[in-house]
Amino acid sequence: MRKKQKLLAVGRFVILAIFLLIIVVPIYWMFVTSLKTQTEIISLDVKYWPEHLTFGNYKALFAGGQFMLYVKNSLIVATSTAAIVTIITIMGGYALSRYQYKGKKLTILGFLVTQMIPGTMILIPTYIILSSLDLTDTLLGLIIYYVAGNIPFCVITMQGFFLNIPVVIEEAARIDGCNRTQTLLKVVLPIMLPGIIAVFIFAFIGGWNDLLGGIMFLTSEERRTIPVGINLFVQKYSIQWGEMTAAAFLALIPSCLLFAVAQKYLVDGMTSGAVKG
Amino acid sequence: MQKFGKKAEPHIFMTPAYIMMLVFMGYPLVNTIRMAFLNYKVSRPDDISFAGFGNFEKIFADANIGMITKHSIIFVAVTLFFQFTLGFILALALKKPFKGRGIYQAIVFCPWAFSGTVVGLVFKWMFNGEYGLLNSVLMDLGLIERKISFLGTPGLSLVSVIVALVWQGIPFFGIMILAALQSVPEELIEAAKIDGAGSLKRFLNVTVPYIKPTLVVTVLLRTIWIFNNADLIYTMTAGGPANTSHNLSSYMFTKAYATLDYGFASALGVLFMLGLTIYILWFFKITKYNQAGDNA
Repeated sequence: MRKKQKLLAVGRFVILAIFLLIIVVPIYWMFVTSLKTQTEIISLDVKYWPEHLTFGNYKALFAGGQFMLYVKNSLIVATSTAAIVTIITIMGGYALSRYQYKGKKLTILGFLVTQMIPGTMILIPTYIILSSLDLTDTLLGLIIYYVAGNIPFCVITMQGFFLNIPVVIEEAARIDGCNRTQTLLKVVLPIMLPGIIAVFIFAFIGGWNDLLGGIMFLTSEERRTIPVGINLFVQKYSIQWGEMTAAAFLALIPSCLLFAVAQKYLVDGMTSGAVKG
Repeated sequence: MQKFGKKAEPHIFMTPAYIMMLVFMGYPLVNTIRMAFLNYKVSRPDDISFAGFGNFEKIFADANIGMITKHSIIFVAVTLFFQFTLGFILALALKKPFKGRGIYQAIVFCPWAFSGTVVGLVFKWMFNGEYGLLNSVLMDLGLIERKISFLGTPGLSLVSVIVALVWQGIPFFGIMILAALQSVPEELIEAAKIDGAGSLKRFLNVTVPYIKPTLVVTVLLRTIWIFNNADLIYTMTAGGPANTSHNLSSYMFTKAYATLDYGFASALGVLFMLGLTIYILWFFKITKYNQAGDNA
């Protein structure tokens, strides 16, 4: 029995090590490439660690000034998307979790159905709407598109967080003389803060990562977001792998850090939203 | 008046969500269906006319569609299978706590937050036919004699895209299944142990039924997401060579973006949604989803 357990522990360790390797290698390779010189990058004799370590790619990236512009645009778009989505889904999640009313099931069903609509299909009619509102090639247009895309999933997740909070707490606050709004703002939302942060981060990452909306709606160079900028690197005839991997690596840092924060709470909200909803 | 106010309350809270959904989801959906029956090219806005089933006929006459549909199905089935299996194994390995599990999870689950663009780009670079890491490693191991053009060979490019997407998708299943596994009450497993069930039996008869709702929902959501994935393919291969690594979604995007033939792309979208709906109904039926919640 002892022996069997030991064997199991070793097996588990091996499995975990293999997974770690699988996940880390591409990230490692991206990082290492960003530290190589162009000559070394396009050498047929591939080196697993740079012979001449250089930060030249990062310098070149910032020297152009364009990349900072992409970062700024992406920050504006992702932050605004996340803020708007959070507010709208707090309201929606509250309504769905705390009221019984006609048509509630239909609304939830509607949100789920939108998850099945191919995003690429929605792009075309959205482009038409945005152009009739004179919002193509604006960051605002992109934000609206991302907000709409993130609402269904986030509202269901938010509802899950609300369901995790016992109604008793609210009733107690009501007895103490708080009205509904005060109860929500002063009692419920503070308890839910981790969940709210998780939804904010989820929507932020969504806006930060999206490529196709940016390609479809934006035409001016000064409005490009990071994924659009990175993708343009790829489409070029002679690809600057060094600068591109540097850009990609930098683009990952915010989403990875935020994700590490939100990971646990996001799962809580998703599982309870799915089970109880 | 008081009563009306009470009744309206949830709807007041829902109003912003309603508006966004109706204007930017509902209307586009209806408009897509309408456009599918129109001759609608953005390049010729004055020349919009009723097309009947003309766009659908064009789809069936399109030489690529048969192949791309076939590839889409392979693409989804293979990707989903590996994402799910590997994610499940990872979740099982992570179930018992160990020192450093928090950090391990933060690293291994991280690709969930990666954009399709970045993942597509990194794998495009790793699979590069001349300077790529994969070729170099395979040569060093003596497995190949000559460098392979992974992304330039029909068939291999589809495999490469699948590998990238599996890599990106393992964390999603890992996280969700791990959360589900941790919600299985210890008593249930103990009781089965006392009844003399071996570890495999406990897993199949206690754990799996208990987490079935999560498994069903995650598989369903993921299938749709893989089907709809376009950005990774667009960045990594742009569907090439000769459209062999397209799925329906990336093909639709390329068509809409490059030819601006919205009628054609919309008709494709409509067929696409029909297919997904049939799949979902079938999926609910075979998983008996309505009864899946009974154990929870």
